[in-house]
Amino acid sequence: MRSASIAAVVIGSLALTSCSGAKESTEGEAGGGSSDTLIVYTNSNSDGRGEWVTAQAAEAGMTIEIVGLGGADLANRIVAEKNNPVGDVVFGLNNMFFETLKAEEAITAYEPEWAAEVDTASGDPDDGAFWPIVEQAIVTVYDTNKVSESDAPDELSDLWEDDQYQGRYEVNTALGQATPQLVLAGLLSENLDEDGDLGVDDDGWEAVEEYYANGSPAIEGTDLYARFSRDEVDYGVIPSSGIASRDEEYGTVTGVISPDEGVPYVTEQIAMIAGTGNETGAQEFIDWFGSAEVQGAFAQEFSAYPVNETARAEAPAEVVELIDSLPKQDIDYGFVRENIAGWVEKTELEYLP
Amino acid sequence: MRRASLRPMLRSPLIIVTSIVLIWFTVTFLVFPNANLLVSTFFPDGQFSGSAVQRLFSSDRAMNSLWHSFLLAGTLAVTVNVVGIFIVLVTKYFDLRGSRVLWLGYATTLIYGGIVLAAGYNFIYGRYGFVTNAVRNVFPEVDPNWFSGYFAVVVVMTLATTTNHMLFLGSAIAKIDYQTIEAAKNMGASTWTILWRIVLPALRPMIFAVTVLTFLIGLGALTAPLVLGGTDFQTIAPMILTFSRTTSSRDIAALLAIILGLATIILLAIMNRVEKSGVYFSVAKVATPLTKQKIRNPIAKVIVTIAAWVLFVVYVLPVLLIVLFSFLDSTAILTGTITWADFTLSNYATVFGSASVMRPFIVSLVYSALASVIVVGGLLFVARIFQKYPNPLTSLLEYLLHIPWILPTILIALALVMTFDQPNPLIGGQVLTGTTLLLLVAYIIVKIPFTLRLLKAGFASIPDSLEDAARILGAKSLFTFRKVLFPLVLPTAAAITALNFNSLLDDYDAAVFLYQPLYEPLGIAIKASTEGENNLDSMSITFVYTVLLMIIMGLAMYLVYGRSASPRKRRRGGVTPPTAAASGASTGVSAPLVSPLASTSVDAGPGARGSEEPTPAGRT
Repeated sequence: MRSASIAAVVIGSLALTSCSGAKESTEGEAGGGSSDTLIVYTNSNSDGRGEWVTAQAAEAGMTIEIVGLGGADLANRIVAEKNNPVGDVVFGLNNMFFETLKAEEAITAYEPEWAAEVDTASGDPDDGAFWPIVEQAIVTVYDTNKVSESDAPDELSDLWEDDQYQGRYEVNTALGQATPQLVLAGLLSENLDEDGDLGVDDDGWEAVEEYYANGSPAIEGTDLYARFSRDEVDYGVIPSSGIASRDEEYGTVTGVISPDEGVPYVTEQIAMIAGTGNETGAQEFIDWFGSAEVQGAFAQEFSAYPVNETARAEAPAEVVELIDSLPKQDIDYGFVRENIAGWVEKTELEYLP
Repeated sequence: MRRASLRPMLRSPLIIVTSIVLIWFTVTFLVFPNANLLVSTFFPDGQFSGSAVQRLFSSDRAMNSLWHSFLLAGTLAVTVNVVGIFIVLVTKYFDLRGSRVLWLGYATTLIYGGIVLAAGYNFIYGRYGFVTNAVRNVFPEVDPNWFSGYFAVVVVMTLATTTNHMLFLGSAIAKIDYQTIEAAKNMGASTWTILWRIVLPALRPMIFAVTVLTFLIGLGALTAPLVLGGTDFQTIAPMILTFSRTTSSRDIAALLAIILGLATIILLAIMNRVEKSGVYFSVAKVATPLTKQKIRNPIAKVIVTIAAWVLFVVYVLPVLLIVLFSFLDSTAILTGTITWADFTLSNYATVFGSASVMRPFIVSLVYSALASVIVVGGLLFVARIFQKYPNPLTSLLEYLLHIPWILPTILIALALVMTFDQPNPLIGGQVLTGTTLLLLVAYIIVKIPFTLRLLKAGFASIPDSLEDAARILGAKSLFTFRKVLFPLVLPTAAAITALNFNSLLDDYDAAVFLYQPLYEPLGIAIKASTEGENNLDSMSITFVYTVLLMIIMGLAMYLVYGRSASPRKRRRGGVTPPTAAASGASTGVSAPLVSPLASTSVDAGPGARGSEEPTPAGRT
């Protein structure tokens, strides 16, 4: 009886299922932070960073497991889990996300051993809930092989105000992601007004409208530099850490627009997750990962710009030079954090093409 | 034998126990968490906030996107039928040379979808696609952007969603009463008359079912509009995804999802009515197998043959390209200039070179297998009860079990995390957040509507007379279920299991919030390896994973379908058993699927899933 034997298989696998389900769940409890394995949440695990950190930590005698997710998803997950946290440490998210985590009481303050080596202003000067590790500039770039420096705009607003740039700059409309959110924050921060809609005056919203209306929307799955090389656009926004590898890959020589008001900077932070069952482990990891030695090695390996001043000496010279040449835009991240969700929603509903 | 009362159900202790378990499960995992989330969304401070409605309806962009979603759904309902019926006819009804090869070509959409499918077409016909380039070399005045917007989205999604026709309609056509066709032929009817007056009317219930299905896929379209829609044709699904991820905008996401959900529910209600009211004699009572028909008009034959093979090329090109691209340097793909020097194994080396590449595959295999077996096994009996005892209680439960079609997976996942992060009396005081169990629960939940619809249809197609006969012969009801009914729905159940398995393999939306850190599933791993600021090979790596997934999915389908269906299907020696597994080029929202109607084939392979494939574009 073939059907009977199939039925037996199905029933058998059902029985197996219930056993293994139960077994998995007991194993699963161990992941809640109480075991020896430290669960490290990060959005900075790509390009081999996750593997690198895991290997280095193992050398230092720590067993860690990286949970790597995109910024917004990761922050959502940590907040959703806050009553029963799964992770022990989180690093790599920018200050905006960390402000959210702090407001939701999903992270808890811990002063690392290297606290004196970093500029507290880049982290959380008031409560010390999170600590800065790596800094990045969000820059508008072009290929100097195609666009001469004199043709490039001096101010970002030229892009949408001057006809010659119409449709020649890329705008990223995926506002769920960190970089497009920072671009938005940068645009609106120049036009804050208590009485305006969502704390922004009409000029600010007009700028946003013009910015998206005159740009060329990013194409899902197509890199900005690939669009440069096809002559689809001339300008676009990327985080500074992505420049070097693209120049190498596409043979471009990147020029950076440096407006007077400066460019948005983001600082990747590290913090202990509130309610972790493994405080000692989490603190040990934070002390280790943020130390000058590890940050220096990390900077060297991944062309990062460490906040730790001792570690900065180890960073590649061109990275330091670029970052030092770009003034920081004055952005009140506390204010941005409170409003960015509303800004994104309004932009998404009213201004995106 | 239909009774609209509860009483007959209460006679059997087995049914009572099943009902109690079902009610517990529905309340615990479907109603309670989602109600929780929706209440906190729409009543932020204990006070109802209807501002979402106002915010949404004052947005031109949102209204446009919503309109586009419905427009796309309506268009697809027509175009998919045209193409779908055509490919079913040329592979299953007409006697064309190479129909088996044609079938395999058309079946390629079964094993890939989402962003890769859309990207594949874009690489061929898009602005820098080689067809566009070739045409422009001859006719330079052609607009390089010709393949974008509404037109392009409709073309790509039409081709991608004919899957359902191949599975449902393909198997329905095999069961047409051939003697009617013979009779018509003897009376001198032309090929066209027979097709128009006999074959298509007999297929009408099934055509109606797949049309509804197509409509729902169109409503939830996600990736094709993103890649090909341009600024003129964006749909609502991407907006729902963005808003689901922000706490303060979640009410808009929920509202939009509910609007699409209402459309789904209305269609569902229509389906239920039709299922109940009609008895369709489309199935042959006398088993005279269908013989493939010759096209007698030579001109028509040439035209049909050419059209079939052109379509074949259109279907197969993107797949070949994806395999080819998985061996190419990413710069070559992106810039569109390919030379021999660009061929490389380095993409495969990257994927297999990372230390733990096999582990996510195994984790996902286990999760998908467990979830798909549990959901089918668990719903087998439930579907039978629903089908046999239509009463207010069962229909309420049935509608509740469709909740996962209405809410986006992201919201369901978040609701689960937040509900089970503290000891919950409904599950004996356990905490599920942070355990491996929660993802399994989520996978089971999201597959319930699909599984239920198809199983119910499977049972509906079994004549009551079989069961009556067993009872008259003295069989107990459990025995009858086990020995008579179960074997008859087994092919359907196996097919659903395989489809569920395939669609869960590369899930990202549920896993992202629920996976236990020590058990990283494949969707997360793919995402991690394809994003990153310095990762320029993301597209190539996505292609490598797609090729690997195609192999696994193909194998899964072969294991299930190749074995259970082949003895009967191979009777004409030419036609391969219908594999299944659909791949909507679409939707992260309500993954829609509606059953074939009552009294259509038992082993109709189901189709269509909405999958938001991990996209290479970073979500950092």
